[in-house]
Amino acid sequence: MQKKSLKLLVVCILLIFSKVSSQEEINLNTSSVDGTLLEGANAIVRSEEIVIEINSINSMTIKTKRIVTVLDKFGDGYANYSEGYDPSRKIKKLQVIVYDASGKEIKNYKKKDFIDRSVYDGISLMNDNRVKLLDYTPVSYPYTMAFESEVQNSTTAFIAPWYPVPGYKIGVQKSSYKILNPKAIPLRIKETNFEGYQIQKNKTNEEVLYSISNVLAKRPEVYTPSLYDMIPIVKVVPKSFSLEGIKGSATDWKSLGKWEYDNLIAGRDQLPKETIEEIDKLVSKAKNKREKAKLIYKYVQDKTRYISIQLGIGGLMPFLASDVDKWGYGDCKALTNYTKALLDSQNILSYYTELYAGNEKRSIDKEFASIEGNHVILNIPDENGDIWLECTNQTLPFDFIGSFTDDRDVLVLKPEGGEIKRTRKYEPRENVLQTTATVNLGIDNSMVSNIKREARGLEYDEIYGIQYQEPKEQKLYYKKHWAYINGLEIKDIKFVDNKDSIVFTENIKVSCVSYGKKAGTRLLVTPNVFSCDQSNLPMYDNRQTSLVIPRGYINTDEYSINIPTGYVINNIPEKKAIQTEFGEYTYELEKVSESQIKFRRFLKIIDGTFPKEKYEEYRKFRAKIKKADNSRIVLKKQLTNE
Amino acid sequence: MKNLNKLIIIFALAVSATCFAQEYKFGKVSKEELLESSYPLDSTVNAAILYESKQIYYDYTAEQGFVLITEVFKRIKLYNKNGFDHASAEVFLYDGNGAEEKISGLTGITYSISGGAIVETKLKKDGVFKVEDSDYIDKVSFTMPAIKEGSVIEYKYKIMSPFSRSIDRIVLQYDIPIKKIEVSLTIPEYYTFRKLTTGFLPINLKESSESQTKFINGSTLSYGVTKYKINTNNVPAFKMEPYSGNYKNYISTLSFELQSTQFPYSNIRNYVTTWGAIARGAFKDSRFGGAMDNNKYFKNDIDQLVSGISNPREKTTLIYNYVKDKITWNNRNALVPRKNMKKVYQEGVGNAAEINLMLIAMLKYVKVNVKPILVTSSDRPLSLFPTIQGLDYVIARVRIKDDIFFLDATDKYGEPNVLPDRVIHGLGRVITERGNSEMVLFRPSEISKKQNLVMCEIGNDGSVRGKQRINHTFYEAHDFRMQNASKKEDELVKRLEDFYGLQNISEYKVSNIENIGEPVLESFAFETTDEVEVIEDEMFFSPLLFLRNKENIFKSDNRQYPVDMGYGLSKSCSMNIKIPEGYQVIEKPEDMAFQLPENIGSFVFRMNIVGNMIQLSVSETLSSPLVIEKYYPALKKFYDLLIEKESDQVVLKKT
Repeated sequence: MQKKSLKLLVVCILLIFSKVSSQEEINLNTSSVDGTLLEGANAIVRSEEIVIEINSINSMTIKTKRIVTVLDKFGDGYANYSEGYDPSRKIKKLQVIVYDASGKEIKNYKKKDFIDRSVYDGISLMNDNRVKLLDYTPVSYPYTMAFESEVQNSTTAFIAPWYPVPGYKIGVQKSSYKILNPKAIPLRIKETNFEGYQIQKNKTNEEVLYSISNVLAKRPEVYTPSLYDMIPIVKVVPKSFSLEGIKGSATDWKSLGKWEYDNLIAGRDQLPKETIEEIDKLVSKAKNKREKAKLIYKYVQDKTRYISIQLGIGGLMPFLASDVDKWGYGDCKALTNYTKALLDSQNILSYYTELYAGNEKRSIDKEFASIEGNHVILNIPDENGDIWLECTNQTLPFDFIGSFTDDRDVLVLKPEGGEIKRTRKYEPRENVLQTTATVNLGIDNSMVSNIKREARGLEYDEIYGIQYQEPKEQKLYYKKHWAYINGLEIKDIKFVDNKDSIVFTENIKVSCVSYGKKAGTRLLVTPNVFSCDQSNLPMYDNRQTSLVIPRGYINTDEYSINIPTGYVINNIPEKKAIQTEFGEYTYELEKVSESQIKFRRFLKIIDGTFPKEKYEEYRKFRAKIKKADNSRIVLKKQLTNE
Repeated sequence: MKNLNKLIIIFALAVSATCFAQEYKFGKVSKEELLESSYPLDSTVNAAILYESKQIYYDYTAEQGFVLITEVFKRIKLYNKNGFDHASAEVFLYDGNGAEEKISGLTGITYSISGGAIVETKLKKDGVFKVEDSDYIDKVSFTMPAIKEGSVIEYKYKIMSPFSRSIDRIVLQYDIPIKKIEVSLTIPEYYTFRKLTTGFLPINLKESSESQTKFINGSTLSYGVTKYKINTNNVPAFKMEPYSGNYKNYISTLSFELQSTQFPYSNIRNYVTTWGAIARGAFKDSRFGGAMDNNKYFKNDIDQLVSGISNPREKTTLIYNYVKDKITWNNRNALVPRKNMKKVYQEGVGNAAEINLMLIAMLKYVKVNVKPILVTSSDRPLSLFPTIQGLDYVIARVRIKDDIFFLDATDKYGEPNVLPDRVIHGLGRVITERGNSEMVLFRPSEISKKQNLVMCEIGNDGSVRGKQRINHTFYEAHDFRMQNASKKEDELVKRLEDFYGLQNISEYKVSNIENIGEPVLESFAFETTDEVEVIEDEMFFSPLLFLRNKENIFKSDNRQYPVDMGYGLSKSCSMNIKIPEGYQVIEKPEDMAFQLPENIGSFVFRMNIVGNMIQLSVSETLSSPLVIEKYYPALKKFYDLLIEKESDQVVLKKT
């Protein structure tokens, strides 16, 4: 699924990286860095000082001083020497000095040496954010880059949070974050994930200071929590603020949501009379709210398409519903607002909902209200639970959001105020992939099979897009999916997409010239033809993070395997069953007749967060599954009386 | 008689085609076009260009003289939602050197059928965006309104360019098919261009002459023009295939490169005519030729570097390594220096021309026989004809007696005759001051090697424990360094674990990464329980264990252009497997060898049993770096067969 983002995301990223300072002398000679900080690191933040001075609710100055030593080419990205700007953000000062390993200055860049570019986010047709960046080629490693900037911002609704640990494989020698608040403007502050870190703090009405030192580089591991759940973060928001000239004040989600609703959303939902009449007609026969909403969702999917255009107030305000009606396109905000307007015309209550989209389940912070998120969807409260609509996708079934926005806290904007809700979670029993197949093995080692796979829940989400690809791509997909079968030919592909019951069925005919393996009088065959686990989880000496299995599922397989004439099945291996707290697995073969065996496999994975010690158990569980999946049986040539 | 009938039918079809050939006029979309539910030649197509017209001509204005005009008109059919991406477009305009390209007359209409009637929606200002993309490039993007499945969109615009000497490459093939494309160029007699084409589709270019008259400030100007026309139907979509080298060589395009201009009452001005002219021009060019002659800034350093050394080969190596260490490539291909060479030398950063012309200047200075090679890198389409536009890179050629060395100092892991990918997939031309030149192909004739040596032992439980050594030579060593030199040890281990599907590699060592020119050696110990299957009193395994090829890299059924691997490679595995005590080999794969036609590649599989040891030697060689599409099916089959052979089983039985 393509990633969609609000300009908000871009703004946040730019803010995160625009950090500030004045600092005591640090030794720029790379050899002075403590050895433990170097371990597993591509770069080290030698010192970072961010000073944010809130002069008034519509003026703040952000000063960043950041010195980063880059140890190898993979650390280049952490040197980060760019600064973003837009109509409300002005760059006052920008400077970079580059030092070699001995601490000798080798390059000095002033503001005029920076290249000016339009922000290219890879998605947008139009984006009015701009960035000043350097075209710097590192000449040797390690090198140290001292970045300094000063930015004047009239928007105080977003204050860049403190993220002292910018990512994996980077050590932090010291980092500080200071808010100067001479007017003692009331602030709300939230500290997250401080446990296990040495953090100093000092808070008064006029000044807030946080500092951290000697953070070792984090190793990236598989199946881990989100980085945001592991690194320290400080969020600061003034109780009264300004967003590109619009003033506001909020203390909680209710009041912030109300302000957003009143200032960004309300009144942008007018529709032409003809469209309302068309919708009236469209839903006239529908029996209930759900049916009407479903028809309207289909109407939006048929009429509009997703185009990212990031213009206007912080990229936060949707286009007018009437414009979307006319143009037939819009971004997530515009399309959601349009769908909402169409539902309103039929007196169906729905709410504009802000959230973080993406395969990683990132929640809006329910305890701390600040403008955040990177996507918008629509919420329709219903007696049988909430209906969620992804309005940027022309092919998703109604009330199906998939792994892009599932199971996370989101902000629902109601006229009376904001409310945190959780999107739908897809339970393991709902995410089902059922595979049945008839497999004919030939005496010449060949294999011919008809496969039927039915996918539901997130398994549907995973596969249903295949129907929209070109046949050549579809064939290549299956060849890659079953790459362990040498010389696989895809003979025929048929799909049935039932968007009402949300079941995707694939009927595939395949063959290959040599599936079985002859060894003398034996024929070796892997009965698990189509669900061999090929994963290989790494082994860690010392796992550092909890084990997170983000989503659960159930896969079942049942194949009738017809063995070639002239061969007999001697012994059928015993059933294998593994039961763990992460799920269960069974592998079973049954001799149906002299010429047919039945293969059955069941795999259930349960989502959850487990202590880090459990990772090794999970790894072993998956390794056992892989071994059983790939195991073979021996067919023997029948001895004939010649 | 039968043949005659056929001929008549063809003739009749041709006639009818001309008689009923559709007229494409902006604003006149037919109901048939709107009702067409799929592309007639391929029902799986999501969108198609129904018609494209590109008219390129010159206009004369009193202020600017000749300006280049490009008029574009496209009509696109969107069969389904997956084709909707083609409803947006981007136009890039150059803005620099005090002049800028301008777009005008951007008009667009979306046509859809609603209730049996054609509905038109116009592209308005709110669907058009202009942004300054970078210092020299402005971007105009637009997206068509109110599209539906089955809609037809049309747009047209005109670009006025004061850069009258450069005509943009004309693309004649896209990722969607084209039903009809018409291109016309009208070029005044004052300009002489050379035509260059790429791609495997035939391009039917017609040429004619006529005269034109312009009225300027009350006086008339008459001149002859040459008209070029392309009128092509049913151009298939271009499909990307893996291992293509430079796919730009295979997309159909046409480009025009200026040869000379001669305006009334002026002298002829030559831009490029022959390789000789390019060569002489390069040497005369103060930036290019000048850079090779300027030795003031490095004189002292180089004198010191080579003092007391007279052997030209030693001098070459010293200087080449000196430049490689001192100057870092800024990732830019270039034919000419942009910066002052002294500054490049001081700052230690340069583009391809700066670095390699500096190398040439230094080698020249110490009297080594060196010449520049002008290169078309893999970023540009190749041309066999003289072209300056096609050239974007420079490397050095050193001749010492009968030995020739190609040197590219932009590549930190390069060595004499080991060049980066961007060069080996391209084409070169060595030039001399007197205008002599010669084509140079860079793909090496020598085969690179990856040799595996495994000593291991199978346990009674089927587990396998052992040691492996890998020896990477020549280009294979270069690629290893490119990909892995900056990695930490745990990442190098993880790479092998992922590659082989192993879980616990230990005692990992790698040597010679920094000793460029030497083979890279890796060694490690492994243990696996996934390779040998124990069933009752028998054991089954592929004697190549985890080293066997499991997946054919070629998956497409057919291919329209060559496979370009860059260099020939031979992978070999030498295995010594000790079988567990109390077992004996009862089945083993037979020895086998097969070849690809014309010595493109070969495969050899040999196995011996000596006491309780299995000795296996397998080699897989693709000696030809470039395999033409004709042999693609054979190549695919070759890999199918070798994968099949490598999965053959050894059976052990308890005695």
